[in-house]
Amino acid sequence: MSELYGYVGSIVRINLTESTFELIPTSKYVPKYIGGRTVCNRIFWDEVAPGTGAFDPENKLIYMTGPTGATGIPTGGRSVFTGISPNSYPEQYAWSGIGGFVGAELKFAGFDGFILEGKAPTHTRILIQDGTVQFLPADDLWGMLVHDTQDALEKIHGPKVQSIVIGPAGENLMRNATLTTSNDNVAAKSGFGAVFGSKNLKAISILGSGAVKPADIPRVFELRRRMGDPYMRKTPVVPETTHGMDGNMIPVEGGWGRGQVACSHGCNQHCNRLMMGIKSAFSDEKINQVEKCVGIFAYGYKEDCSWRPSQTYETPENHVLACKMLSCEPPEPGLDDPYFEDLMKPVRGDIVNFWKPDFDKGAVMMNMCNEYGIDKWDVIVWYFTWLSMAKQEGLLDDLDFGMEVDVENEEFVRYFLDMITYRRGKYGPIFAEGMARAIRTLGKEKYGDAIYHGRFSQELGGKRLDLPVSLETAWGHSYHWQGRGFEGTISKPGWLATSLELMTSTRDAQTIAHHHDKYTNFLQYKDDPCHSDLLLDAVVLDENKAEMKDSVMCCDWQSPDLWWPEMESVMYTAATGIPMTQEELNEAAERSRLLFRAIIIRNFGRDRDMEVNAIFPTMQYPDAHGETVTWEDWNDFVDLYYEKRGWDKATGWPTRETYEKYGLADVADELEKAGKLPQ
Amino acid sequence: MEKERRFRPHIVQTAPDDSFCAGCATCEIACGLIHEGAVSPSYNRIFLGRDHRTMVHTVYACQQCEDHPCYENCPKKDEAMCIDERGIVYINEEACIGCGLCRKACVMDPPRINLVKSKDRAQRKAKKCDLCRGREEGPACIQWCPVRCLYISGGEEQ
Repeated sequence: MSELYGYVGSIVRINLTESTFELIPTSKYVPKYIGGRTVCNRIFWDEVAPGTGAFDPENKLIYMTGPTGATGIPTGGRSVFTGISPNSYPEQYAWSGIGGFVGAELKFAGFDGFILEGKAPTHTRILIQDGTVQFLPADDLWGMLVHDTQDALEKIHGPKVQSIVIGPAGENLMRNATLTTSNDNVAAKSGFGAVFGSKNLKAISILGSGAVKPADIPRVFELRRRMGDPYMRKTPVVPETTHGMDGNMIPVEGGWGRGQVACSHGCNQHCNRLMMGIKSAFSDEKINQVEKCVGIFAYGYKEDCSWRPSQTYETPENHVLACKMLSCEPPEPGLDDPYFEDLMKPVRGDIVNFWKPDFDKGAVMMNMCNEYGIDKWDVIVWYFTWLSMAKQEGLLDDLDFGMEVDVENEEFVRYFLDMITYRRGKYGPIFAEGMARAIRTLGKEKYGDAIYHGRFSQELGGKRLDLPVSLETAWGHSYHWQGRGFEGTISKPGWLATSLELMTSTRDAQTIAHHHDKYTNFLQYKDDPCHSDLLLDAVVLDENKAEMKDSVMCCDWQSPDLWWPEMESVMYTAATGIPMTQEELNEAAERSRLLFRAIIIRNFGRDRDMEVNAIFPTMQYPDAHGETVTWEDWNDFVDLYYEKRGWDKATGWPTRETYEKYGLADVADELEKAGKLPQ
Repeated sequence: MEKERRFRPHIVQTAPDDSFCAGCATCEIACGLIHEGAVSPSYNRIFLGRDHRTMVHTVYACQQCEDHPCYENCPKKDEAMCIDERGIVYINEEACIGCGLCRKACVMDPPRINLVKSKDRAQRKAKKCDLCRGREEGPACIQWCPVRCLYISGGEEQ
């Protein structure tokens, strides 16, 4: 092969059953499938048959970097896992992004990605080093906490080694177990830590000494200046004396330090979410750990977070990247914006009264999630919110956990997380299956659908609003940016869009595709969003941008930039030297999305009835403004969306014409044989 | 007793209360791209020591020892390893045979000289920070560090 830019040339197939590996040329998939999640989707479609379960050896975990990885293009160091998710309800194909330095190191070792298949006969770890794969015993690591595992691997392989590991949660097949790499970066959303555990795989360590070349170095440096609008200034550790936001803010005795942390190789816009000098769950020494957006609620959750329209709707004068919001360091607002007051008006979150602020207890909860390898989202905004609501509603009187349920008691937090991680007692195994399954095992009507009476809308003058104790939305996930539950404060057009994005997905899509649109569009559809072509354009744009950023690879927090729509195509061409227009990249994103759609149709029986019935009930509880959506309006909205996508309105299945338009005639052929192509 | 070691101006990392290294590796990346047109742990002349547990990271670069043991141990002294008008040791890669003796002679831990390992002997080269000798903008790592946590020391004693 002539000089290769961006990609390094091979994907390695790792067979754990046979302890063998083989190389696949990356060129089998690119440039048509770009990289990252798009390549994963193609591989999964080609290789994993219907009927396969998450914990079956036949389930494959496919890991891909993108062509921007290790090129110096900002946040190209991110990467993605896909496979059958044990945490989705029901089990379905899903994905989970991860930052850190493993993606770059894998490329230095000569691989653009790997396919994990089979099941190791005994506890195993893998070492990938400069073109080779070794299968090594892991009995001595099995049972270790996440950081202890990382330390042990550094001791063996030296400080430069980059590892992906699981903790006890993954070993014990907890369905929301994470994969963890450096800087507390995790692939959390899909429970792939449990898939590692099911394959007897404790860790993958990577050492590489090779090189990655971008095609256009001056453009790489231009991107470093422009993407994310980096401050390029000193960022000292900031001594903090308080913690939290809105009604959850508390003073912190002794204080703590807030530092910058880069979540991926080459990030040029860091988040100031490194918490320094906080309580550990496992030792008397103070520790540092990274707090992401949901983490802040571990410490105190009396009130849901507030929302400003500018977080979702943008103008030329005021468009702020999500990373600037996360770091609470937005640029100076554009005061000459005619919509300035509307955009900046804060909308207070609902009073929810889940738990009062307690800095040390929150730190312990976060630390235990990090060390056991559990998805913090599920712990903070599902397990513990459910425990709080169920307790307040008197639903737990018949359940004996062995300790009084008290979500404000640090000892109970420790007890409960131990119980579910190690599957202890009667209820440990039930909750280790994740909340969606636990609620059904206990009895959904009582333990899921019961109404919590402690939610009060600040937007409606303190009016009490219904909320189910389950907080469950579609596919085994809890509400997120959907008008109720966590980050529930956005207005109706916003949660209609995010709910539609979730409806056609298999997991919480909002950690990837935070919904964005231009404010002038919002003004046109705000009174009748369900019949708006403009709103659907925004949904399609956000969904396609999510595919792009998981394929070209950049951070969730830097894309989409509505005022720089060609950003991802510029990144792609700078990395690879392959000309790629914004339109061509959008076609590749459509192709990726179609492959995803084809997989969930063929392997998991997805159709219109299934997905509409999964999402619609979740929107029957009022949002912070008392709004819901009717069956008729929602179905009109879905009709218009399917039509825009080129999917059949009756079944929700893409038509042959649509598959062929994006170069997937072979996929259409197979679906036709399976009777999954619209007549 | 070991003699007091003296250094010429070199790349140093500021204290966390001045600016905190976020661990993004931009210093390594810029170094590799500017000098080699590639990003690689074998090519960079500056090194990011990552602490995965504490997330407090340390940047390492050549401290430009005044007695330059690397230069003294080079079998092709003044051909492969040379000293410029500032007293800074730099590598002439055309002449470097990649023997690694300079790296072995480095008194720092970890060693501040990188070595390209290759089956092709002609590709084996030593890489060492020379403060981006001849580059108008100065050291690339300083220019591109997003948090401005690197600077050139005024010379100090250890």
